[in-house]
Amino acid sequence: MIEMKEISHAYGDFKVLDHINVTIKEEQITALIGANGAGKSTLLGVLSRLLEPFEGDILLDQVPLKTLKSKDIAKKIAILKQTNQLNIRITVKDLVSFGRFPHSQGRLQKEDHQKIEEALEYMKIKDLENRYLDELSGGQRQRAYIAMILAQDTKYIFLDEPLNNLDMRYAVEMMTILQKMVKELKKTIVVVMHDINFAAAFADHIIAMKDGKIIEEGSIDYMMDKAILDHVFDHDFCIAGVNGRKVCIYYQQKETVLEAE
Amino acid sequence: MKTRRRWIILISLVLFSMMFYLFFWMLTTPYDLFPSDPVRAEKMREAIFNIISRRSIQMLAMIISAILISSTSLVFQTMTQNRILTPSLIGFDAIFISVQTTIVFFLSSSSIFFVNPYLNFLVSAGLMIVVSLALYRLILKKNKNNIIFLLLVGMVLSTLSRSFASFLQTVMDPDEFQSLTIRTEVSITNMNLSIIWLALPLMIIIIYLLMKDYREYDVMTLGEHNAIGLGVRYAKKMNTSLIYMALAMSISTALIGPISFLGLISVNAAREMLKDYKHLPLFLASSMITVIFLVLGQGIIAETGYLTTVTVLISMVGGIYMIYLILKENKA
Repeated sequence: MIEMKEISHAYGDFKVLDHINVTIKEEQITALIGANGAGKSTLLGVLSRLLEPFEGDILLDQVPLKTLKSKDIAKKIAILKQTNQLNIRITVKDLVSFGRFPHSQGRLQKEDHQKIEEALEYMKIKDLENRYLDELSGGQRQRAYIAMILAQDTKYIFLDEPLNNLDMRYAVEMMTILQKMVKELKKTIVVVMHDINFAAAFADHIIAMKDGKIIEEGSIDYMMDKAILDHVFDHDFCIAGVNGRKVCIYYQQKETVLEAE
Repeated sequence: MKTRRRWIILISLVLFSMMFYLFFWMLTTPYDLFPSDPVRAEKMREAIFNIISRRSIQMLAMIISAILISSTSLVFQTMTQNRILTPSLIGFDAIFISVQTTIVFFLSSSSIFFVNPYLNFLVSAGLMIVVSLALYRLILKKNKNNIIFLLLVGMVLSTLSRSFASFLQTVMDPDEFQSLTIRTEVSITNMNLSIIWLALPLMIIIIYLLMKDYREYDVMTLGEHNAIGLGVRYAKKMNTSLIYMALAMSISTALIGPISFLGLISVNAAREMLKDYKHLPLFLASSMITVIFLVLGQGIIAETGYLTTVTVLISMVGGIYMIYLILKENKA
């Protein structure tokens, strides 16, 4: 369990996080939603100690994150940010092997090789293992990075917009794999997402942020509500039911209404 | 194996360069090295021994500098995440010269901090560390991904410190200036060998400290976020690397003077040759390439009767290579 207590952070005078209190529940996919600049990525950065918050405490399984060694945190928390531009040529297998760094400090043992193989197979990229990263498509590259995170063998996985640049098929595939990881591997996953319908379809819990604060959180059913989403995004939403699921439509609504008339 | 053959070629080239530098002059010298007269033969043996031992010390200085230059350039490129910048392009070695001048100007050339080569070195290295840490805090940290900006800063910084030094030298007492040139006019043809026995152990320590966690640098090539996520203490690693780097630059600049493009050439040549991103093989290969450049280059220059200097040659080759690299990076 990860708890954030009274977390605040600022860039200069601009408050990005404002007294955040939140608990990340285990063995669930939690989706972080909110408009651009709401503080989602910063929250994820603070959660994964990429950023040190100005104020507040984060408790990782009841232990303050500050008191833990970076190496030990890396055995429990894995983080993948949205921009992954590398200026080196590296094969998929080498990239995935980096995931074992917190455990092996770069000296790979038998167990490490086994975990690397497992991660490659889990992400179905075993056949790509000797290819260079820059030769892959966006979807394949993203899977290679997730495989690295998987090889890191952590309980918590934080992903910052993992669906960026993925087409619909790959995006669905990615979310299905994440769901599978929660069920089969007992992972706790936090994802920053932009597409509300994806969040509704695959997440278990949604946290909505606005202006550095958490303004709503709850189950899919609760959060897929016109009043809440309108408030979160300052935008006009329309919630519909398709195949027993709630989906939202958020574009060209006025025109469609006019046409219907 | 292809890589193995490359290593063998590299090592033999290094050995060849060393042999060339030490012994080639014997083939071209106009003197009879083995005269029949026993008295002259004795003198000649002594002379040969003197030349070879002098050249050995010079070669040692070049090897020390070569290893320091290539390791710091390699680490610096990982820290700033690019393939073009090196510490000397950012102006680190120019800072060293102005530190020397400042010491003489304010403390006089008879000061113990100038006269004693060891103390002098320690003071200048200490100042270098302070300056480079400040530089990092103020500029490098925020503009890591802006190569053009950093190059500009480097240009401004080296011009500034050179002008500052020459300003102080102009208003200085001429006698003081005379003694100052001993330290500032160091070049590969005019090495400062007085600190070599301090430089050698220091180099070994620095290289040990710098390379003992070379696997962390491998992880750092994945970028700051990934590296922290994988448990590298990024900020601390940056600071310590920077201190070692300042020390290393002080040693190599004090020994053989500034050589701008050497690190750039050798590190990139090593990358091209090995097609690898791992720091240990890159460090070894780039050190060897630097040794070849310096020792073989200096050997050839010596044969031509010092028509030009290796520094000029390296600057020419390196300058062209850097333009090529910038153009290539811009395309990608």
